Amino acid sequence: MDIATLSLILLLGMLVLLAIGMPLGFASGFLAFAVLVMKFGPDLLFRDFGSGPLNILAQRMYGLTTDYVIISVPLFIFMASLLERSGIANDMYNSLNIWLSRTRGGIAIVTAIMAIIMAAMSGIIGGEVVLLGLIALPNMLRLGYNQNLAIGTICASGSLGTMIPPSIVLIIYGLVTETSIHALFKAAFLPGFILAGCYIVYIMIRTRLHPEQAPLPEGGEDVTFMDKLRALPGVVPPLLVVGVVLGSIYGGITGITEAAGMGTVAVLLLITLRREMSLTLIREALMRTFKSTGTILWVTFGATALAGAYSIAGGPNYVANLIVGSELPTMSIILAMMLIFLFLGAFMDWVGIVLLVMPVFLPIVLRLPVEELGWLGTLDPLHVSVWFGILFCVNMQVSFLSPPFGPAAFYLKSVAPPWISLPDIFRGFLPFIGIQLLVLGLMLLYPPLTSVFL
Amino acid sequence: MVEHEPTSWLDYVSLGISRVAMLLVAVIVAIIFFEVVMRYVFEKPTLWVNEMSLWLGGMIYLLAGLYVMQQRGHIRIFIFYDMVPRWTQRLFDLLSTLFICIFAGAVVYGGFTEAWSKLLRWETFGTAWDPPIPATMKPLILVTVVLVAAQAVANLLHDWGREKEVHDLTKDILEEHVD
Repeated sequence: MDIATLSLILLLGMLVLLAIGMPLGFASGFLAFAVLVMKFGPDLLFRDFGSGPLNILAQRMYGLTTDYVIISVPLFIFMASLLERSGIANDMYNSLNIWLSRTRGGIAIVTAIMAIIMAAMSGIIGGEVVLLGLIALPNMLRLGYNQNLAIGTICASGSLGTMIPPSIVLIIYGLVTETSIHALFKAAFLPGFILAGCYIVYIMIRTRLHPEQAPLPEGGEDVTFMDKLRALPGVVPPLLVVGVVLGSIYGGITGITEAAGMGTVAVLLLITLRREMSLTLIREALMRTFKSTGTILWVTFGATALAGAYSIAGGPNYVANLIVGSELPTMSIILAMMLIFLFLGAFMDWVGIVLLVMPVFLPIVLRLPVEELGWLGTLDPLHVSVWFGILFCVNMQVSFLSPPFGPAAFYLKSVAPPWISLPDIFRGFLPFIGIQLLVLGLMLLYPPLTSVFL
Repeated sequence: MVEHEPTSWLDYVSLGISRVAMLLVAVIVAIIFFEVVMRYVFEKPTLWVNEMSLWLGGMIYLLAGLYVMQQRGHIRIFIFYDMVPRWTQRLFDLLSTLFICIFAGAVVYGGFTEAWSKLLRWETFGTAWDPPIPATMKPLILVTVVLVAAQAVANLLHDWGREKEVHDLTKDILEEHVD
């Protein structure tokens, strides 16, 4: 069968299988089998039991099980699950509050800062939004903050976990595209903080233009400098964990996996010092870790099998030739890809997108003329895949917030007061989605933003 | 965290395996800590920690899939699924399960000889510490894929009689995160 028909059947098959609610990983795995049948025909495929082209399925899975970096995925999830169950975040919130409670919009800024620190500790988002929703939302609503502002701040900054290193999105992207994860982490630093900085600046401008949206706490004594000093210890433990994780990665002391392991040890130690340690806590955290690892990794298994089968059939090459040969302007191709990411992101989990789409998209990007990437500034050809990974990461930031399935909305809804409806939540996201698109535009305009630290 | 209750003997097998396998995450943390201390405090790096974590990690990824299958937790999209009547959903589930079994069959069909021979030869990783990773992981992949498919069939049988329920993401998350 020729590759054009095969690709078309594959695309339709994926749509049908996803529509009937088949788990994504297994749908990919089954389609990998289907691709091999179409490519080689049943005669060749089933001639000998136990070997033949079908062996690619198990081989690709084996490749993943022996990849050292993936170990950091369960470790980061474990670390986040432990943090979620301890009072460390709560204490950090209280301390930061003392510092900023007399500032206009202070509590929203505190929420954003806290989210950034948590994002630098681990690389997943779910628990972070839930945690901020439990701690910061009631507080902001009680003080009379504008509901949309409160919701948007929590979810947008809570999603930063996958943008600011360490980030599981970047780890999986690096694995799939064989890009250096170290380079990705370095490159994500500046864009991540630009995004976070924009949120904070936006909160400050908005609350100054509309002071009624962020009333200052009434009465109460003035916070003295001594109070502020006394509040410092609440911020120290999380910063220590950040130091352990990022310090060991950037400082080159250990690799990412060991950094994740040491971060977990640091969190365990803090929990013990806080006398929160219990067998139940560990057990619950391990169960969560095991479940999240299973969901992420099995999508990866299926998709890697599919990518393997499709590559043997010559698929990615065919699509790349088709696109590059069409002689469309370089940046329109990139923009079209961004739109596809945003569209898919509204319906699909990031794991699925990175695993299914990247093996087709990145080869195309790598073959585009490098000097035409971005409107200003030039990118080193070696850094193109890094740049594209960061672009993808920003796209996924939007996808966490975009209706109808933006996960951050559902995470927040699960802990928000019942009168806040999902449409309310999505309405609160709008300005923040605008900021994300702006930062995305900035990186398209000036790609060297990602290669400053490379 | 609220778990899906076991409903068949296979569920007990899956849960039993998971209870042990989930501890491995903690084991990895412990040995990585040991390695880092040995390397930087005693300047005696170990030979075995890297490969041991690799070996344990592989087991975690594979066996976690079995647990997630028992918990009905694999990532899927419910947009269309939730719109159709229950009898259509049953048909969809039947197809999904059939395809999962075909996938499992294909993995075993293509990988059996290699896995079996590596097990018999007790093939090792070819490194300094030299653990039998190929000899154990290659067969484990096939075994797990078959178990996962069997679990999918058990799920199908048990969920067949269930009434239609629309998936409420909010409720799912609440059960997961707020204990």
